[in-house]
Amino acid sequence: MDDSQARKFQKDLNAGLVALVLLAVLERSTEDLYGYDIAKRLQRANRGEALFKEGTIYPVLRALAAAGLLTSRIVPSYAGPARRYYRITDEGRAMLRQWSDIWRQTRGFVDRFIEGTDS
Amino acid sequence: MSVTAPRSIDEYLKQLRSALSGEDAALIQDALYDAEEYLRAEVAAHPNHSEADVLEVIATTYGAPDEVAAAYRDTEAKVKAALKPPMPAAATQGGGVRRFFGVFLDVRAYTSLFYMLLTLATGIAYFTIVVTGLSLSVGFAILIIGIPFFLVFIGVARVIALGEGRLLEAVTGERMPRRPVHPGPAASWLTRIADMLKDVRTWTTLLYMLLMLPLGIIYFTVAVTVLSIGLALTVVPLAAIAQHLGWAGNLTLFSDDVSIGPFMLAEHSLLAALLFGIVGVLVVTLLMHLARAVARGHVRLAKTLLVAPGA
Repeated sequence: MDDSQARKFQKDLNAGLVALVLLAVLERSTEDLYGYDIAKRLQRANRGEALFKEGTIYPVLRALAAAGLLTSRIVPSYAGPARRYYRITDEGRAMLRQWSDIWRQTRGFVDRFIEGTDS
Repeated sequence: MSVTAPRSIDEYLKQLRSALSGEDAALIQDALYDAEEYLRAEVAAHPNHSEADVLEVIATTYGAPDEVAAAYRDTEAKVKAALKPPMPAAATQGGGVRRFFGVFLDVRAYTSLFYMLLTLATGIAYFTIVVTGLSLSVGFAILIIGIPFFLVFIGVARVIALGEGRLLEAVTGERMPRRPVHPGPAASWLTRIADMLKDVRTWTTLLYMLLMLPLGIIYFTVAVTVLSIGLALTVVPLAAIAQHLGWAGNLTLFSDDVSIGPFMLAEHSLLAALLFGIVGVLVVTLLMHLARAVARGHVRLAKTLLVAPGA
């Protein structure tokens, strides 16, 4: 079996899930987070093989902010360029609840076939 | 992958830039900014490792330049499609007449007209800032404050360029940078100033700010003149009706000595008023089309002068 096919499948799965995970991370956080911070939290959470490259979360963060699900502010930094801190908006929270429901439904549905509980 | 793995932040950014070549210049600026934020933070978080060591693992954590480039390309395409406000049907479909008057349903036509009026104010402000900043920079050059002053001045100009880009994106929907200009590799002050002086975009930004004064005067004058002529003509029929009903006191719309060919306007005042009204509506509609075209042309100029071309 070719490894690239597994990667492609993972990538297709991630397309919507990254946005869901980012919303969930920001919803749980009590403080505003910037890109690197979020990337490290995700890295800590998944031990072993990373499910997605941290570089892919930045464009998604920007897309979520452009859609009004996140707000952001810029804070100067000593380490490099100024950091953009993100916070979830009320609209983002509503979207997260809706997406979480869809995720739970999907997971349940897929599991019924894969685990063979539907027989 | 034929390119070698990057060994430094600058090399990484260079590879990312070339992986994104051909993309929108504004997207490249944003992607480089995000990558640098991550890479610098990652290097700073591992003080015991050299930059080369940290970058060795970057491909498995942050992603190799071409992977990151692909992510930006995908997300941008999706977001663009999702966020673009749909053109009202009347503005894009139907016959010539519907399309001609459909401009009144297009939000961008109104924002463009507003932008034309606003440019007089922003033009004066930009022009003043550039002329003052440049002349004071030259004057201070022999003093100790000359260098910091010049840096602050260029910094202000870049912030204005970013703000102007955001404004133009709101007005026309054309993609403009959402992040400030990448400051370039860390270097001494003198190298940075030399780089700024050598950077073509520094000068084109200042040129744009200078150009905004004459352009602003032209845009403002055209917008105000045509808008007042158009609106004045449009309300002529109302005035004529008011006069007819005796509400207008002793207002004289068409005096006896105004004639077009054999027609004395005063004898056909209602018909003449109606014609003026139609011309007025046409003038205002044409102005809306003109405003949209001007804004579209202007954003192209702004993109050429304010945004670094994609490598």
